This record gives sequence, structure tokens and C-alpha cells, in this order.
Amino acid sequence: MLRVDVTKQLGEFSLEAKFESQGRVTGLFGASGAGKTSLISMIAGLLRPDRGVIALDGETLDDTSKGIHVPPHRRRIGYVFQDARLFPHLNVRQNLDYGRRMNGVAAEPAQFTRITDLLDIGHLLDRRPGKLSGGERQRVALGRALLSKPRLLLLDEPLGSLDESRKEEILPYLVRLRDEGIPMVYVSHDAAELRQLATQIVMLRRGRVTALGGVKVLT
Amino acid sequence: MNRLAGLFLILAASFAAAPVSAQDKILTVFAAASMKNALDEIDAAYTAKTGVKITVSYAASSALAKQIEQGAPADAFMSADTDWMDYVIGKKTINEPSRVNLLGNSIVLIAPKDSKVDNVNIGAGFDLAKLAGDGKIATGDVKSVPVGKYAKAALEKLGAWQAAEPKFAMAESVRAALTLVARGEAGLGIVYATDAKVEPGVKIVGTFPPDSHPAIIYPLAATATAKPEATDYLAFLRSTAAKNILEKYGFKFLVSPST
Amino acid sequence: MFEISPAEWTAILLSLRVAVIATLVATPFGIALAWLLARREFWGKSVVDALVHLPLVLPPVVTGYLLLLTFGRRGLVGAWLADNLGIVFAFRWTGAALACGVMSFPLLVRPIRLSIEAIDRRLEQASSTLGAAPWQVFATVTLPLALPGVLAGMVLGFAKAIGEFGATITFVSNIPGETQTISSAIYSLIQTPDGDTAAARLVLISIVIAMGALIASEWFARRATKRLHGN
Repeated sequence: MLRVDVTKQLGEFSLEAKFESQGRVTGLFGASGAGKTSLISMIAGLLRPDRGVIALDGETLDDTSKGIHVPPHRRRIGYVFQDARLFPHLNVRQNLDYGRRMNGVAAEPAQFTRITDLLDIGHLLDRRPGKLSGGERQRVALGRALLSKPRLLLLDEPLGSLDESRKEEILPYLVRLRDEGIPMVYVSHDAAELRQLATQIVMLRRGRVTALGGVKVLT
Repeated sequence: MNRLAGLFLILAASFAAAPVSAQDKILTVFAAASMKNALDEIDAAYTAKTGVKITVSYAASSALAKQIEQGAPADAFMSADTDWMDYVIGKKTINEPSRVNLLGNSIVLIAPKDSKVDNVNIGAGFDLAKLAGDGKIATGDVKSVPVGKYAKAALEKLGAWQAAEPKFAMAESVRAALTLVARGEAGLGIVYATDAKVEPGVKIVGTFPPDSHPAIIYPLAATATAKPEATDYLAFLRSTAAKNILEKYGFKFLVSPST
Repeated sequence: MFEISPAEWTAILLSLRVAVIATLVATPFGIALAWLLARREFWGKSVVDALVHLPLVLPPVVTGYLLLLTFGRRGLVGAWLADNLGIVFAFRWTGAALACGVMSFPLLVRPIRLSIEAIDRRLEQASSTLGAAPWQVFATVTLPLALPGVLAGMVLGFAKAIGEFGATITFVSNIPGETQTISSAIYSLIQTPDGDTAAARLVLISIVIAMGALIASEWFARRATKRLHGN
């Protein structure tokens, strides 16, 4: 369960967001520039709020009044970036394994196979990111974040840079992930996507939460 | 690529580990540049006789003296004048009792072997500037290098210094000056008689009268940090074997040989 | 003409040894400073940057003299090192390595810094979200991606170290077998009347070594770049 109550000055406007996610998929909906990426960057620990608190499952990740800031590598919060950000010097298998190695966790071949099957990337393992299509890259990025065993998964417009056919290719995977039970915060400006995926919506407009509720809020 | 990197690292490590020269049984000698040919021959004889290798750093006595002062690891020092030996003795870097004024030498005027200049009479009223014409006169730096100091003293005594001074090309050692003349870069030069003897590219065109400059004396001494083997080496330099080699090159042996 | 005398061999091996040691020892410092200058802001940063580049613009003899004053047997640091740790730089090959390391340092740092600056910081962010602590980010993402720059810097530094003359001869003079590098040997030889042939040999060898180093660096850098760009 994620609790967010933060303010941050972003250039011309300030971001003020307060909400609680109920688990499953919380969709962060808004136009470009509304502050969605800054918000999830703060949840990930890559950006620090000017003021406020962020807590996950009872653990305080940020509390400006107490000077608490848990660095990103200790939050166990996965992040799927809009531009995949796969490591170019590693092949797909090494990218997928990265999170596990950084946390010193033993290999779990069964889990590995399950995720690669789920995302249909098993045949790409020895390729380098430079030799993957956009859709393949995004699936690998998803797999990489999942295999680091996060307690929460942040996704920033993961389908944003893809064309329609690609989107339709990947959306089912995301639905499968939701059904696997991994809590997600999913950023998108596409209402149709969120209607399929999200269980809760936080609507953001120029740095303010303008609506909070179920997917009905999107209409 | 990793294998290559590994190979490279092994090569690097071997360079680091292997000593460039064996650390035992080597003496380091700092000797005036003019000693080069004679001392190389003497050292070869010494190594053949005792197995001790000699490493020599040849340079102007001034440069060597400053290095010894700074703590350079020399075992023995042979200077081309007494000033620089007294200098390092004053800095407490010399084993004073071991000092001996070993050799004498003389200074000569040289020119490139194919020069039109020849048979110069060097005496009172000698006009070096006129002789040099548009060309340069090469010698060691008159402020510090022994051969330069002797040259300046002699020219001052003969009244030729002032006019000639602007034409001087000051080299950092007598051998550098010798090379300038041998290459024809300088039309004239003032070096030791012993230097002229080993360089076929130059000819002696005049000799400076011995009373025109302070006596040229080459003192020899062991340094304060000398290895024990240095004593034997110094003794060899005073032997008849060494005397014969040195006289062959034109040095005057100032002491009676010990063996 | 092609018979290399023992004295020349000594100079060649000494030069290689000095340059290799200087480069290997300087590289970790070079990487650290390059990273600091590329990734961190701090008070006095421009001063540090200027100091790193100082040996590039100071007359080499000045650098050598400053090294003598600092690390010589009677120098500020040198005296302490000799008395307490038995480490002597003056007139030793270690001093030659120090002089070469200092002179080549700016050429080492620059390509590494540029390489690190060119790395997408978002990749480093990604790695930290995957659980990589800052040192792990450096070791598994930053450094591997900066590798071409590191290799380029190392080879450039090596080439400079093997050719270094002014600072070396001022700091540790010209003692055969100990501090007489190829450059000092050539310098002595051209002042010796019959030394021109030997000097020419050493000049040729210097050129061969330098060309070899540059070709090797090109090869390394190209291999590394291919590896990094995902093929």
C-alpha cells in the first residue's frame, strides 16, 4: 500500500499530490507536462520532494520533516522507463539478471523461465539491445524490472513510444502482470489503456490531483 | 579481448618486477664529460678484472655536483676542476680522506677539420673575436662548466675576452661543445686537448699557454654514501694499468701510481 | 647499423618499464578524478580542474623542478618518505615514473572524463532502481561504458610517458640503467661526437613503440565500442 503526500516546485508550476493506492494497478492519468513523471520519480527515489512524505507498506521512504530519504537502490521499487533504458553493453539475459545480481539473490531458473515465457522473450536472450525491435525492448525492460523482485512496479508510459500494433501486442502482457498480483503505478495519457488495466485512477492536471477514484473517473 | 587484456597485464607486471639492472656489484660513478673515452676503457678493464660493473653518468662537473648535493646515488665523483669538488665537500657529501688530485689536462683551440683556420699563435694580444669572424665559438658554459671557466680565465688574461664574448655558444658540457665544432655548427671551439684527440672531425689549431689559466686539475673522490667496493675501484684508478690508459688519451697523471 | 648496444637496450627497457608503471599507477587516480569532474559539483571544482591540467601547460622543466623540491631527498614530502617509509624517488626509476605519471596525467584524464560525461545518466538511474548501490552503478554501468575513453586515455598517457624528457631529466637526471630513458639517451648521444648512429637507432625504436601504442589503442577502442553498441 503506497501513501504519497508531497509538494515539489517544477519550473513554472508546483506539484502537489496526495493519494493512497489500494494495491493492484493505480493509473496516473494526465496530459504531458502535468507532473506525472516527476511524481513517479519521487516514488522511485530518483527525485526528492520539497516537502512531504512517501511511504510504502508502512515503511517511510521519504519524510522531509525528519530528513529521511531512502536511496533508490534500497527501495525495491521497480521502474519501467518510457525509453526502456536497457544496458547496451549487456545482452538480454544479462539485462534480465541485473537486478537479481545487484541484490545478491540466488538464481531462480523457474521464475526466470516463467517471466520470459510470460513476456515471450525467451528466444531473445543472447541478443544485444541494439538488435531488438521497440516492442521487444519494452518487453525486456518489463522483464528486467520484474526479475528484480520489486514490491511495487512503476511504469512510465511504457507503450508511449510504440505504434498501435505494438501496443496491442504488449497490453495483454500487462494485463497478465496485473493478474499475477504485482502492485503497479501506471502512468499514461491514454484513457483507453488505463480503462483496460487500472483499478484506481489518480488524475493529474498541472500539478494538482483533480480526481481520485475508480476507472469511472476517466469518462 | 579479455585474453589480450590479461596478456598485456602479465607483460606489464613482468616489466614491473624484473630489475632493469642487477642491484648488487654495481658502482655508480659521476665523471666529467671529458673523461668519457678514457674512463670507459678503464672501467671495461676493471669489470673484466673484478666482475664489478661500473655505471657512469657523464656530464658537466657542475651538473653532477648539483645532483650529488641533491642526494644522487653516486659512489665516486671525478670533477674537471677543484672548485666543484670543494663545493660538494663543503656540502658534506664526500668522503674527504679519499680525495686525490689525480689528473691534469690542457685546453686547446679547435676548428672543424676542413676549416681554413690553422696554426694560430695564442699569446698576448691574441684576437679571438677577429679570428672567429661571423662564426660562433663553442665551449662549456663559462659560468659553471669547468672548461668554460678555464677558457674565460685564459682569454681574460690574454685580453681577448671582452671582444670575443658575444660570439660564444655556451654548451652544457665540453663534449657538447666538441660536437658543435665537429658538426661545423661552430667555427671554433675551446675544449681539452684530450677531447680533441678522440674526435676526428676537429683539428687543434692552437694551444693555450698553461700560465694563462689556473692549473687544470681533475680531483677524484668517493662519496659519503659510497659502497665499500668503491675503495678498490678508486685504488684501480691510481694503478699503473689506469695510468697507461689515461696517458694514452693525453691526460697527465699527477700522482705516482700505487700499483 | 642495426646492432643495438647493451646501453641502448637498457634505455629501451627502462623507458618501457617506467611508462608502463606510470600509466598503470596513474589510471585509477585518473578514473577517480575524471568521474569527480564529470559527475559531481563541489566547491573548488574549477581549481581542481586547473591543477589536473597544469602539467600540460607548465614548462616541463618547471614541473620537474617542482617535483624535485617536493619529492627530492631533501624535499618537503621526499625527506619524510625516505626517512619513514624508505621510499626514494630522487635519481631513481621510481622518480622517473612519477615524473612521467604527472606529465601524462592530463592526457589520461581528459578522454576518460569526456567518456563518462557522454554516458546517459538515465542508464545509471535505471541501474539504481534495479538495486545497484552507487559503487555498483559505477562498476557495472559507468565504467564498462566509459571503457573506450579509459583505454584511449591510457594509451595517450603511455605514449606521453615514454616520450617524456624535460621533467624527467630535471627531477632524476640522466643516470644510465636507473633514469636514462630513451629520450635522455638520445639527448646524450647527439651531444657525443660519434653517437649519431646510435641516436638514429633509438629514434627509430621510439617511433616504432609510439606507432605500436597508437595502433593498439585504436584496436582496443574499436573492439570496446563494438561491444558496447550492442552487437
